[in-house]
Amino acid sequence: MAQLELDAVRKVFTDDDGSDIVAVDDVTVDIEDGEFLVLVGPSGCGKSTTLRMVAGLETASGGDIRLGGRSIVGQKPQDRDIAMVFQSYALYPHMTSRENMSFGLEESTDMTDEEIDERVQNAAELLDIPELLDRKPAELSGGQQQRVALGRAIVRDPEVFLMDEPLSNLDAKLRSQMRTELQRIQEDLDTTTVYVTHDQTEAMTMGDRIAVLDGGELQQAGTPLECYHRPANRFVAGFIGEPSMNFFDATVRGDRLVADRFEYGLREAAVNDVAGAEGVTLGIRPEDVEVTPGTEPADDNEFATVVDVVEPMGNENAVYLGFGADPTDPFVATVGGMRRVEAGQRVIARFPPDAIHLFDATTGEALHSRSLEDADPAEPRI
Amino acid sequence: MREFLSTARSRLRRAAGRDAGSDGDAERADGDGDSALATDGGTAEAGADVAPAGGTDGLLDRLDDRFGEDFTESAPFWLPPFLLVGLFVYGAIAWNFVISLTEYKGFVGPDYSDLDLDMYVRAVGDSAVIDATVNTFVLVVAFTIVALVIGMLLAILVDQKIRFENTFRTIYLLPMSLSFVVTAQFWLWMYNFNNGVVNIALGAFGIGPVDWIGNPQIVLWAVVFALVWQFSGYTMVVYLAGLRAIPTEHYEAAKVDGASTAKMYWRVIVPQLKGSTISAAIVLMVFALKAFDFLYSLVSGYRPPNGADILATKMVREAYSTNNWAYASAIAIVLFLMALSIIGPYLYYEYDKGNL
Repeated sequence: MAQLELDAVRKVFTDDDGSDIVAVDDVTVDIEDGEFLVLVGPSGCGKSTTLRMVAGLETASGGDIRLGGRSIVGQKPQDRDIAMVFQSYALYPHMTSRENMSFGLEESTDMTDEEIDERVQNAAELLDIPELLDRKPAELSGGQQQRVALGRAIVRDPEVFLMDEPLSNLDAKLRSQMRTELQRIQEDLDTTTVYVTHDQTEAMTMGDRIAVLDGGELQQAGTPLECYHRPANRFVAGFIGEPSMNFFDATVRGDRLVADRFEYGLREAAVNDVAGAEGVTLGIRPEDVEVTPGTEPADDNEFATVVDVVEPMGNENAVYLGFGADPTDPFVATVGGMRRVEAGQRVIARFPPDAIHLFDATTGEALHSRSLEDADPAEPRI
Repeated sequence: MREFLSTARSRLRRAAGRDAGSDGDAERADGDGDSALATDGGTAEAGADVAPAGGTDGLLDRLDDRFGEDFTESAPFWLPPFLLVGLFVYGAIAWNFVISLTEYKGFVGPDYSDLDLDMYVRAVGDSAVIDATVNTFVLVVAFTIVALVIGMLLAILVDQKIRFENTFRTIYLLPMSLSFVVTAQFWLWMYNFNNGVVNIALGAFGIGPVDWIGNPQIVLWAVVFALVWQFSGYTMVVYLAGLRAIPTEHYEAAKVDGASTAKMYWRVIVPQLKGSTISAAIVLMVFALKAFDFLYSLVSGYRPPNGADILATKMVREAYSTNNWAYASAIAIVLFLMALSIIGPYLYYEYDKGNL
């Protein structure tokens, strides 16, 4: 087990016509010993490429990758002490689960057969699959194959686990089950882990820290709640959280924000943060929007809206609201599942001033994040 | 005009009705009293004169029950080719077998009244036949194994995402498109004792000259080499398809697992090519059994070089040079059984996998 450092790692692919495509652009992130880091981002953001560079399956075009203080750039994958779990599991179809799991130990160590057998047995028990050891992959369900693939990585007892969207081929129920189980195993083994996913729920729930990538660039690295409550920019704010944060383009006029369809009064703290900025983007999370029945806004933080669509989720309702009578381009608010809200209903939407985020309209940088003063001090949210 | 048309139409309809009526099934629909009763059951109650029709109908129904409901309806489509193949392939094999049991030789026709296994006894005791069998066996096994190994190595090399991959593939596959006659001719030139390319090339290293065709110890291996040259391209294409079906992740997983390139291929990739190996091996073995054309063209005659006589050439020589028809038939049956022993297990393997 060791610390893994990515230092300005870069990957450039050269296209057939000679043009360069930058897949990963100067990504710098340190993963502490025993830490679970989740690399998250939309497809094509370079997260898998980053992982494959750590594995040695792609060569880095620039920068350095250090494992335990030692540079591993230029080493063959065979010589790096890492284990990888693939999205497709990549189990060898002609081998039984036991052979699949012992293959790595046979190839990378000079352990005796008994030692290998013991390790495989232990890993199988940890994963609850001892009875599957003599079956071939074709005779296993997706979830079972997943466990064997994990077992294949675990028996190696490597410095680093690399996982490339390992849960994305499972159905929703099994996925959330495996999510918890993976976390438990990682805590038990305390092995440094880099986990790639495009699913922000996995990122939020599993990672000690998450690194958000977009367009090959690192947007933010921090704890899940940091990324949620203190997004570094508009992209992170929009990517983390489900349903996504609502955004409104506006211009600053003194202590007021003027948007196309509404004006919003800013508090002093926010006014100071946006000083000097011309165009800003107002962001508010759906669960922070307060929806009350009524037609008359009481102050400049409230707006008269009409319910366009209601999506009941059971525990909550996602309510799409349009300003005034205009149903185009609605924004989302979530309200309790027991509340009765119907399409066409007129409601007041309130954006609480301490829950708003403000971003620079051109660069997307965060200027102002929500206040956390109402957070429970006994359980700090960050 | 209209009247004429309507009478013509009704006449046509009646004609069609009669036509269909001749078919057992339609008679019931026609509602023609007596025969309707008879065809319905096809039982003993029917009158004696219509019983045969009823019997056929019952038989057809039973066939349909046994082989699926479209069995009789679809017969016009599959029956003619079925009968033709049955007659000319399996009928010919059967007739050949019967001839092998007679004493048929020379220009007097075969005597079918006296059938015995004399010819097989004679073949077992004939050292020429035993030599030919051994040669056939060596040719089949050596050629198949060498062609498989070379084809697999070529396929692995071509699969390395190299430039001009398609060109290489075509070049390696081209010899396969040549006929045996052509390959035999120019390997004959290449193997020429005095001025063949092979001996000239070896002579540059101070080896030889070697009498490739004339030396009975060597000639079979020279033939194997020429056939390997012709067919390893085919093996390569089969393996290439097999390699393409293996996901990249298997290579990557093996590398991350710490396997060296050689170990990765040996333990992860090659075992997954089992299906390709089997299908390529079957085709190669069948071609090896048919190497008659190659040997015939090599010498332009029925007498292949000493040491290269195989069952196919021996059989043809017995039949057409010495007119030992029955003896040649017996050799043919031996050859047929050898081919069957290759194809049979393969068909069973495919059947077992549910592909047949």
